[in-house]
Amino acid sequence: MRKNRAAYYGKKLLIFLISIFVLSIAVFYISRIAPGDPLVSYYGERAEKMTPEEKDLAREKLGLNDAIYVQYIKWLKEAFKGNFGISFKYKQDVLSVISGRITNTLILGGIGFILLFALALLLGIFCAWHEDRLPDRIVCQIGTATSCIPEFWLALVLILVFAMMLRILPSSGAYTIGGGGIADRIEHLILPVTVLIINHLWYYAYMIRNRLLEEVRENYVLLAKTKGLSKGKILFTHCLRNILPSFLSLMAISVPHIMGGTYVIETVFSYPGIGTLAYESARYHDYNLLMVLCIFTGIVVIFFNILAQIINERIDPRMKAEEALESGGDTVSG
Amino acid sequence: MENILEVKNLSVSFNTQYGEIQAVRDVSFDLKKGETLAIVGESGCGKSVLCKTIMKLLPSTAYIKNGSVIVDGADITNYSDRQMRHLRGRTFSMIFQDPMSSLNPTLTVGFQIAEAVKAHSQDLTKSQIKERVMELMKLVGIDNPAERYGSYPYNFSGGQRQRLVMAIALASSPKILFADEPTTSLDVTIQAQILDLLKNIQSELGTSTIFVSHDLGVVARIADRVAVMYAGKLVEIGTVNEIFYDPRHPYTWSLMRSLPYFSKGKDALYSIPGMPPSLIDPPVGDAFAFRNEYALRIDYEKQPPFFKVTDTHYAATWLLDERAPKITPPIDRGVK
Repeated sequence: MRKNRAAYYGKKLLIFLISIFVLSIAVFYISRIAPGDPLVSYYGERAEKMTPEEKDLAREKLGLNDAIYVQYIKWLKEAFKGNFGISFKYKQDVLSVISGRITNTLILGGIGFILLFALALLLGIFCAWHEDRLPDRIVCQIGTATSCIPEFWLALVLILVFAMMLRILPSSGAYTIGGGGIADRIEHLILPVTVLIINHLWYYAYMIRNRLLEEVRENYVLLAKTKGLSKGKILFTHCLRNILPSFLSLMAISVPHIMGGTYVIETVFSYPGIGTLAYESARYHDYNLLMVLCIFTGIVVIFFNILAQIINERIDPRMKAEEALESGGDTVSG
Repeated sequence: MENILEVKNLSVSFNTQYGEIQAVRDVSFDLKKGETLAIVGESGCGKSVLCKTIMKLLPSTAYIKNGSVIVDGADITNYSDRQMRHLRGRTFSMIFQDPMSSLNPTLTVGFQIAEAVKAHSQDLTKSQIKERVMELMKLVGIDNPAERYGSYPYNFSGGQRQRLVMAIALASSPKILFADEPTTSLDVTIQAQILDLLKNIQSELGTSTIFVSHDLGVVARIADRVAVMYAGKLVEIGTVNEIFYDPRHPYTWSLMRSLPYFSKGKDALYSIPGMPPSLIDPPVGDAFAFRNEYALRIDYEKQPPFFKVTDTHYAATWLLDERAPKITPPIDRGVK
């Protein structure tokens, strides 16, 4: 049994490592064959006045003249030593560029994620409670409409209304330069988090609603009703417990989805997180920075996908039946 | 004896995309204190719907079209869900067909029984509740209740789970127990045990029971009276002896003839020809006429009323009209 489990997780780990490896090759090649001049990001406007010889020298210096696979092998060797190179644009070690920004992204994504799922759960319960009656129908209609609004458009509209017209919320950044404090940070988070939630909320709330409605039709709910339990008690003590595994797996699956959303939102709000950074690094051919950001994102996405897969396999009814058989010594017929 | 339950002209329909399904049509019967009434009939004849209507457990697409339900002297036909909650568990409760899915797989059985105990006696302390739960578990024949209190449903076999469901149903000593095919999904030896248990508990607690089944053997064993249902209507009702020894409705005859006993020495087991009618658009006359070899012309045109055979025995067939031809029932009377 223990051996099986080790093999099971070992297999998952192997898949994880292979995926990251393939991802790194793909990003490495694609970024290098994409049109554009990485020297511009390193030398700025000076690059345009350089003679071909100077450019060649500069490329040599940055290690861009070798064949791509040679460059990749060099990069890989250094990466294993923990050296991911310098950012062309910031002329700093890549990791130190990222470390200054990653907390901002984690704050935005984390707060958005927690609020999103808390609200999705509440909304899902609300709709399931009022199944097919007016409140549920209204919420379903509004939800479907809002989830179709593109996030960048919604972000622009909110900026227009709250930052330009009403002037009550800041339109960009993570904090006021020179200012600071928690209240200031929160103010800067309101719009991005709102966009993130509005954009993703209904998708998850609807899944939770439908999962709950499936559960409400189970036989055990009928028995619970015959006991004289109230609807609320049945929903909260009986049904919610049974959708918990699906809820967790839904959360795990959603991480990549929400992370992608965060990147777009960061860009629109010029929020100094790694989303904006990833966008810039791709635009300016900041190869080393792009590699690390892509691999970091890839690790998160693949990790949570595998996690969701593991959760789903755990809650598969066939797995449960197997466990029940294993504990068969406990079962006596009668 | 006093009636604990009276059902009068009850009709229940479902709204579906294909139209109105008339699942129960004009059903009247009563249940006396301490008695067991069995409702028999083939799948889809409305037996379960009838029980669930009385407890108001049907989905929102179902509605009572006509008639009334009187429980313990009170007309509950138009009770709200909140009012029903006070009756469920205490006045009536129910055992379901499939014990494998009636218990919540993620809660311990002790908790699930305790819930039923708490539902109607809020002032009990924790230890009193636990004591009562173990008492109930012992009552339904679960050994070592203290040990098994914290076990999950998957630790129990089908028969044991049905016992646990019974413990839940009996938690607040209900006056009426609906047993909706409680033994159908169990194997025969376990069936017998559960039936004995049901009988013992009934004589001990004096609960009135409505026992839904399509198994005539089981019914003969447990019922005081039997009601035969076909296509949403009652066709015959009488004491267990009257129904088994002197059935009058052709449908009851057919049911009896389908028992393996009557096919002894013959080539094939008898089965009723044809299919039950659709309940979306039920036939005008006797719904069974199309499958009935003794059908009269009037059976296709007009619904037969209930004819009285004895004070306790009624059957809805035109064959009992004095103008009808005399027919010898196709089964030997007096078989066991």
